[in-house]
Amino acid sequence: MIKLEQAATALPAHGWQLLPLRFHRLDADSVVLTNLVGEHVFVTPGELTAVADGTCTDQELLARLRAAHLIQAPGETLPTELLAIKLRTRMRRLPDSTGLHIFVVTLRCEHTCRYCQVSRQPTAKSEFDMTEQTARRALELAFRSPSPHLKIEFQGGEPLLNFPLLRWITTEARRMNAEHGKDLAFVIATNLALLDEEILDFCAEERIDISTSLDGPQDLHNGNRRRPGRDSWQQAVAGIRRVQERLGADRVSALMTTTEASLGRAAEIIDAYAGLGLRGVFLRPISPYGFALRRRGGAGYDVSRWLEFYEAGLERVVDLNRQGVPMVEIYASIIARKMLTNTDPGYVDLASPAGIGIGALVYNYDGDIYASDEGRMLAEMGDRTFRLGNVHDSSYADVMLSDALLDPLTGSLTLSVPMCSTCAFEPYCGADPVFHHATTGDFTGHKALSAFCQRNMGVFALLLRKIRDDRYFRDLMWRWAQ
Amino acid sequence: MSRVAGIPGGVAESADTGTVGITLVFDQATVDLDALQRGAYAVAAEMTVDIRARGADYVCTLFPRGRDADGEDLRHRFRAEVNDQVLRVRIAKETEPLRNLVFALAFSQTGLAEAEDPA
Repeated sequence: MIKLEQAATALPAHGWQLLPLRFHRLDADSVVLTNLVGEHVFVTPGELTAVADGTCTDQELLARLRAAHLIQAPGETLPTELLAIKLRTRMRRLPDSTGLHIFVVTLRCEHTCRYCQVSRQPTAKSEFDMTEQTARRALELAFRSPSPHLKIEFQGGEPLLNFPLLRWITTEARRMNAEHGKDLAFVIATNLALLDEEILDFCAEERIDISTSLDGPQDLHNGNRRRPGRDSWQQAVAGIRRVQERLGADRVSALMTTTEASLGRAAEIIDAYAGLGLRGVFLRPISPYGFALRRRGGAGYDVSRWLEFYEAGLERVVDLNRQGVPMVEIYASIIARKMLTNTDPGYVDLASPAGIGIGALVYNYDGDIYASDEGRMLAEMGDRTFRLGNVHDSSYADVMLSDALLDPLTGSLTLSVPMCSTCAFEPYCGADPVFHHATTGDFTGHKALSAFCQRNMGVFALLLRKIRDDRYFRDLMWRWAQ
Repeated sequence: MSRVAGIPGGVAESADTGTVGITLVFDQATVDLDALQRGAYAVAAEMTVDIRARGADYVCTLFPRGRDADGEDLRHRFRAEVNDQVLRVRIAKETEPLRNLVFALAFSQTGLAEAEDPA
């Protein structure tokens, strides 16, 4: 009704007021305008100038800009009130920090992946296992979180190498939750090579989800992910099928990491996922942490080559959907929610304030607490900047109010960082103080030189061009956003 | 934003390094220093920019990062970036009160922002 009334009211030249807006030139003849919460309209460069100068006479365009809260009629107050409601909705997760709690139950691993981001240890070195005392204290801290939703993620190393503790933590968390009444969920990040019936039974009883790694076709996966027997792919595929059969198709998901060998093989990777009945693929670049850059498994490619890979992969995902095969590119789906709805998906790498600490906490096998998994990886390389304390001598307040957490959070807010504050993509993007600290030595980084910025700007622009030009893709993004 | 007067200049030499740069002159009446500085920041991957006030002008000297960079391309790139930054600065100034109002409204009802004590 409001839109109809607005559309019926013609605005004379200079008869509107600009609302806070930012713009980005997508092509020579196309500019995207975004408002404070990321709602967007595509215009031509000439239209941008006319709207900013107050000389636009295109009533249809003015009506679209008004509906998207990019301009308002003089004296109107409703647009600012609606923007405030939407902004508050997007930020409603903030008071309910921290939902994700990562337990590194062991550093041991029987894989020697080329790009491994963690400091794995040989399988016999049980001194790198978390103890029950440490796990109990970590659980006590996790339950101090005000979040009504708690997800406990078991990581390693290979967490199934310390399955007895994993089982103990799950049981103990259930027992503690009888008092707290939180929405409690569990996920195991595993390579699946050690999966057996006992573990499957336990996952079924406790409704534990499985997250695994699958880099694509057999030769690519086994080239990246090495283990005795050179059968990592066979183990992962067999494990995925067993989980699908025993727990259900939606209870297992997989992640891939892009190495130089992956470039040019995007469609094959997507097809490998589809062939296993996996409904989602997350096209991820390699991370600049841990073993990834110290060894030969380092990226070996720049942002532009990764963006070519991403676009090819996304095209394949869209083609499969056109053919009736449901498949989601998970990064695009996260961004779709940010672009097309006012609900923030809570993805820690695209959040501002950054997701470190307030989105996730990591409890290392030795009790050290880190603001993120990447912060833990940096510590394994000798940089303990993101160590927030230790479960045995730190209170919840010590951790959440520590300078090690608050300094990077306040130093990286996108609404105040140079280039981010005026960027049209700011509502979609996030602060990543760990990445910028790791690559440039400070929490903010120089965005014109930042691979994080170049990569995300490239993805946002790609998605917006496709939304603008391809109706099928726009509808698909709407479906993914739901 | 064609009102911005970016006048192609000549070739200059940096007193500090002896590096040859490309000059562009902007009229201080039409271009804020803030927009020039934002523009220089945004193009830092392609060039560094030395900005000096001279009379009624700002003289910008562009130093390409790449050896094979085309001088004319750099001029267009920097001039286009500055034009965009001029517009961004203008829009930001014009909409700042509304932006502050939206944030105040948004956070006033969350319990996150404490009300000011009138005393």
